[in-house]
Amino acid sequence: MRAEHMKMITLEKVSFLFKNSNLEIIDSISFQTNKGEFISVVGPSGCGKSTLLRIIAGLITPTSGRVLFGNKEITEPNRKIAFVFQDFALLPWLTNQDNVKIGLSRSEMSDEAKDKKASELLDRFGLSGFEEYYPNALSGGMKQRVGIARSIASDPQVLLMDEPFSSLDELTANSLRSDIIYMLENKNISVNAVIMVTHNVEEAVELSDKIVVLSDKPSRVKEIIKVNGTRPRDKRSKQFADYVDRIYSVLAQD
Amino acid sequence: MDFIALVLRLVLDTSASWVRMFIALGISVLISIVVGIYAAVSPKAEKIILPIVDILQTIPILAFFPFALFVFVVILPGYIGINAAVIFLIVTSMVWNIIFGVYESIKTIPREFLEVSDLYDFDRFERLKKIYIPAALPRIVEQSILSWSIGLFYLVTSEIFSVGASNEQVKYGIGVAFASLAYQGAGPYLTGIAVFVAFVIATRFLFFRPLEDYSTRHIRSQQKVQQGNAPRYERVLLGWVSRRISSAPMIIKSNRIVKGRKHISRVPVVEERRDLKMLGYAVVVLLIAGALYTFASNPVLLGYEAQVLPALAASFARVWLAFAIMLAVSVPLCVYLIFMSKRGREYMLLFQIVASIPATILLPAIAVTIKQGELVAMVVFILSGIWYLIFSIMASVKTMPQNVFEVRRIFGVKGKNAWKNIYLKAILPGLVTGALTGIAAEWNASIVAEYFTTSGVTGTTNVVSSVGVGLGKLLDLSLAPGGQGIGLMMVALLNLVVMILLVNTFVWKRLYNKVTKVYAG
Repeated sequence: MRAEHMKMITLEKVSFLFKNSNLEIIDSISFQTNKGEFISVVGPSGCGKSTLLRIIAGLITPTSGRVLFGNKEITEPNRKIAFVFQDFALLPWLTNQDNVKIGLSRSEMSDEAKDKKASELLDRFGLSGFEEYYPNALSGGMKQRVGIARSIASDPQVLLMDEPFSSLDELTANSLRSDIIYMLENKNISVNAVIMVTHNVEEAVELSDKIVVLSDKPSRVKEIIKVNGTRPRDKRSKQFADYVDRIYSVLAQD
Repeated sequence: MDFIALVLRLVLDTSASWVRMFIALGISVLISIVVGIYAAVSPKAEKIILPIVDILQTIPILAFFPFALFVFVVILPGYIGINAAVIFLIVTSMVWNIIFGVYESIKTIPREFLEVSDLYDFDRFERLKKIYIPAALPRIVEQSILSWSIGLFYLVTSEIFSVGASNEQVKYGIGVAFASLAYQGAGPYLTGIAVFVAFVIATRFLFFRPLEDYSTRHIRSQQKVQQGNAPRYERVLLGWVSRRISSAPMIIKSNRIVKGRKHISRVPVVEERRDLKMLGYAVVVLLIAGALYTFASNPVLLGYEAQVLPALAASFARVWLAFAIMLAVSVPLCVYLIFMSKRGREYMLLFQIVASIPATILLPAIAVTIKQGELVAMVVFILSGIWYLIFSIMASVKTMPQNVFEVRRIFGVKGKNAWKNIYLKAILPGLVTGALTGIAAEWNASIVAEYFTTSGVTGTTNVVSSVGVGLGKLLDLSLAPGGQGIGLMMVALLNLVVMILLVNTFVWKRLYNKVTKVYAG
C-alpha cells in the first residue's frame, strides 16, 4: 500500500535488441524504485547496463516492455529525470557556468536567474571561482562535480548515474561518493530516487538500498538484494564484507 | 561509332592524366616519408620543417603554375618540360598533408615501441622498416586519399591552363579534353564527366580501398572497439568523413600532442614556440621592409605594383564574397546534417561523388553558358572552395565529445539555445580549418576562374570569359605572348603571398589558437 503510493520508476519487462544484428542485449528486466531509494544496477562489463539506463532516461526506446515514471510511461527525456555521464559529457566550448546552465535549458527562468542558480550550484560543489574556466582546465573530479551540478540544476526527482565514478582515480571517487551521500541525506534537494549503474561491487554496497544484479548477455535480473543500514557505511565491518561476498557469489553463478 | 571513338579518346586522355597523378603521388609519398620522419625524430629539423610546411600548405601554389611552366620549359625540352611542370605542381598540392600525417604518426608512436627497439638494438634501417614505416602507413594511405582529390583539382586546372598558354600545351589529358569538349555540346561533355567520375570511383575502390585494408589490418580490431562506444550516428559520419577530409590535420595534430598536459588557468595554456614565432615575425617584417625598399627605389617595379594592387584588391573582394556565400550555405547545411538529419550518411556519399569532380572541370561549361565574366569567376570560386568547408565542418564531429547528442536530448537544449551553445560552437574547429583551406582553394582557382581561354582549331586563342581586373587574370596575361613578362608575375606573386601570410597570421592562426586552447582536452 505504501510502496504503491511512493513508487518513482517502474520497469515492466523491458527488453532490447539491436536492430541490425538482432542481438539480444536486455531480456525482460523488471524492478521498481521507490521514493527515497538509492538503487544500484551491477553486472559484468558490456552486459547492457548503460543501455538499460538510457532506456530509463528515455534516450533509447525499448524493443518491448515499458518504463514508468509514477504512472506515466517515459518516451522522451524529461526535466524530472536527470542523467550523470561516465565521461562527464561537459561541452568543452562552454565555461563551467554555461555548462551548468545547459541543465536549465527547459526552465522558463530569466537568463540572470539561471546565472545566479548556476553559480550557487557550482559554489555548493566547491567550485566557486571556477565559473569562467573551461572544463578542460579542471581535474576529472572537478569535471564530474560540474556534471552533477548540471544534472541537478533543473530540480529533478530522479537521478540516473552511469558509472559516475569509474573515470576517476580511487581517492577522488571516494570523496565524490561521500559528497553524493551528503547531498542525498541533506534534505534540501529535489532528488528522491537514484539509479546508478556500476561494475564496482563495493561502491554499490556503500551507496545503495537495493542492488539489482544482472547476468551477462542478454541481461536478466539474477537477484535483487536489499542492503540494510544507514549511510555512511563502514567498509571494514563484517556486515559490509558479507554483502560484498554475497553479490560476488550471485554474479559468479551461472 | 562516334560515341565509341569519343569514349575511347576520353579513356586515353584520362589515363594520361592518371599516369601523371600516380607519378606525383609516388614522389609525394617518398618525400613525405623522408621529410616527415626526419622532422619527427630530429628536434632541430622539426623546428625548421614544420613552420615551412605549414606555410606552404596554405599558399595558393597553383598561382605559381605560370611561373613553374615558364621555368620548366626553359630547363627541359618542350613536351617533357610541360609534363614535369604539371607533375611538379600536383606534387606541391599533394605532399604537405602527407608529410604532416607521417610526422604525427611517428610522434605518437608509444614510447614503449621505441624502447623495445633500443632494447633489441635495432639499427637505423630496422627501425625504419619495423617501426616507423608500419606506424606511418595508415596515415600515409589516409592522407593519400585526401591528396588524390586535391591533386585532381590541380591536375585539371593546370592542364586546362596549359591549353590557354597555347604554345606550351599538354597533349593528352582530361583537362585538355574538357577545354575542347565544352564546344561540342552537352552530350560529349557529360560523357567526359561520366568517364572522369568512373575513373575517380574505380581508383577509390580498386586502388585505395585495398591499400586501406592492408595498412590498417593490425589496428582494425582496436578501432572497432573504440568506435563501438561512439553513438551510431557519429560512427557513420566518422567512417565517411575521416577518409575524405582529415584536412583538419592541424586540429588533430594539436589535439594529440597537447593532450595529457593540463594546466589550471582561465583557458588551458598551450605552450607555443614563441621564440620561433618571433623569428617568423622578424623574417616577415624584414621581407616586407626589403620589398618596400626595392620597390620604392625602382620605378619599373613601382609601375608593376600599381597594376598589381588594384588587381589583388579586386580578387580579394571576389574571394571573400564567395567565401561569405560558401559560409551561408555550408553552416546551416552541415548543422542540419550533423544534428538533425537522420540521412547524413546518404548525403555524405552524394557529396563525396560530387566533390570528386574538380570545379575547374565544369569551368568550360560554366564559362560557355554563363558568359558573364564576374559571375563565372564567382561560381568557380564557390565550387572550388565549398567542399573544403563542408567536409572540414563535417569532420569536426570527430573532435566533438561523444555524448553531445545525448546531452542535447537529456537537458532538452533546443532552438536559439542549441544554436548558440551547441551547434555553432561544435563546428567551429572544422569551420576554421575549412575556411583556411577553402580560401586557399579559391586563390588556386583564380588563374582559370578569372580568365579562361581555349585554343581553337587554328591555334588562335579565344578568350571565353574574363573579369575586369583580377590577380589571376594578371598572372595569366603576364605570361601570354605580348605580356609584360616575368617581372610583373613575380611582383604579383609576392603580393599574393604576403597577403595570404598576413591573413593567416592575423586572422586564422589567432582564431585557430583560441579554438584549440579551449577545445583540446
